[in-house]
Amino acid sequence: MSEATVKATFDVYRFDPVRDAGPRYDRYVLDLPPHTPVLTALLQVRADLDPSLTLRYSCRSAICGSCAMQINSKSRLACEAPIGPELARDGRIVVEPMRNQPVLRDLVVDQEPFWREYRRIEPHLILDPRHPMPEGTANPMTPAEVDRFKETPRCIACAACYSACPAVEADPAFPGPMALAKLYRFVVDPRDQGQQDRLVKIQTDGLWLCLRCHLCTEACPKDVRPSERIRDLKELAIAAQGATEPGSRHALAFKENIRERGQLNEMKLARQTAGLPGLVTQVPQGIRIWRKKPELLHAPHPIEGADQVEKIYEALDDGKTKEDAP
Amino acid sequence: MRLAYYPGCVAQESGKELDMATRWVARALGIELVSFPSFSCCGSGFLDEANEVLNVALNARNLAIAEKAGLDLLTICSTCQGMLTLANVRLGDPKVKSRVDGALRPLGIEYRGTTKVKHLLQVLTQDIGLDAIRAKVKRPLQGLKVGAFYGCHLLRPADELRWESAEEPHSFEDLLAALGATPVYYRGRVMCCGFPIQFVKPATASKIAGAQIVDAKAHGAEAMATPCPLCHISLDAYQNQAEKAVGHSLDMPVLHLPQVVGLALGATPEELGLPRHLVSTAPVLAKIGARA
Repeated sequence: MSEATVKATFDVYRFDPVRDAGPRYDRYVLDLPPHTPVLTALLQVRADLDPSLTLRYSCRSAICGSCAMQINSKSRLACEAPIGPELARDGRIVVEPMRNQPVLRDLVVDQEPFWREYRRIEPHLILDPRHPMPEGTANPMTPAEVDRFKETPRCIACAACYSACPAVEADPAFPGPMALAKLYRFVVDPRDQGQQDRLVKIQTDGLWLCLRCHLCTEACPKDVRPSERIRDLKELAIAAQGATEPGSRHALAFKENIRERGQLNEMKLARQTAGLPGLVTQVPQGIRIWRKKPELLHAPHPIEGADQVEKIYEALDDGKTKEDAP
Repeated sequence: MRLAYYPGCVAQESGKELDMATRWVARALGIELVSFPSFSCCGSGFLDEANEVLNVALNARNLAIAEKAGLDLLTICSTCQGMLTLANVRLGDPKVKSRVDGALRPLGIEYRGTTKVKHLLQVLTQDIGLDAIRAKVKRPLQGLKVGAFYGCHLLRPADELRWESAEEPHSFEDLLAALGATPVYYRGRVMCCGFPIQFVKPATASKIAGAQIVDAKAHGAEAMATPCPLCHISLDAYQNQAEKAVGHSLDMPVLHLPQVVGLALGATPEELGLPRHLVSTAPVLAKIGARA
């Protein structure tokens, strides 16, 4: 029994940096059932219409992580993105290589930047030879301890998060969602003996460039939820080391700022985060904004019940993270 | 319709024009805004990074205030919407709930989790409805091409925010069309404005803001509109920095969500606080025939 087919239009990014002056989009039209994965369609294009189309894939089952690409501007595994919903919404399917990595040819990118960041976080247990694990306890972890990083091992290193990340796009100092999610996995592994060093190092190594935009969490095909792991890392880094960087200083200054009145004092926050020298550099911009928005210099009234806020701080601002709960 | 009005910090301070426009639009559409001077800051994502449980507790207190009055809570900021919604979700975790209860109970505060958190965009498109809004349009935004800019925390993480597709949202564009404007679709509409790292690395933040404005412009937008005052700071108040980052002028007027609605419903630019913007909104007003 054959299923009804739809006319599927693909605009596929084509580029050979060695031979082409610039990229172009080639159009292919196929009749396919709507449940057809984009990868299957691309393989049919290559078999029937254009053998030169270059793409990377292997398992076709969302296990190997090879076929991540941009499908109608979204980071997706091509093997698990059916054409139907894309056509229903956009009328065509624009297929492009992943972002934030140089194109080698057509849909294949050079993943070196992604892997370089992964290697940089030392993705292995750091063990101290002076304190070897006791004999016969190869895996001394409780189920609750394993539970803390249950999401991260699901990662298939497809780089969909890296492709979707605006911080990676804007700043090479940001390690990217996957590397940080993996770092978290080692930071909360009770067997790892480099945890403190890892937290100290990552504070200066781009942790605070995460925008918490959660685009990585939406892009991830395995629900690793990297943005949440990065949030956890930030709280752990602050607990381990306090305010050493502009990012951690800002988070802690924000916390103290709210404590005073129950709501934000914008001007004071700028002063707390930047410090006096930093603030001086902000003066021209501050004056520009203040001329239109004079409230900037007024401290807000304390909220009613600011004493309740203070009591909540006294009860919960105890330097513990959520994992320290009884 | 009565709602507990949660303006958030920025709309009470440097983003006062957002509060002005919200009140104007609420009056025009028959939404009664009930104020609670006891609401605290939502934590803005920064407090969450410093101490998640503390942040959840502050928002449990906010939610309990609305709950006690029997009202759902109206936000006008994508970040407030995100943080208050996430608090509701995280309080579903018994471990978190018991720590938060332990701090709130001695204060006589009870959080039961019955208050819904709704952003103005949801209230306008789902509760008031596009037909009712269309019927009240006095000054259609005919011919004005507007790029909606959602703000991350109104959409993501989608599993928690649970209202429309995080990658293919359309409520804002539907609303713009109902007001007579022409919505512009561009990738940047669901991207980040850069605000969270404005204090960490301003040059990178401005580069990110600039990229979204450039994208909107390249797709024909004559103005952008945002449901988030933090995005507004990045896109409007810091647009001069974004211009430095991209290396050319942008001149993109950026409206708050209720300002767009207010303009179409006949408000004056002053009533909506438009003169408070850093980037002039005069081209928008000229295009729709409003007095500048």
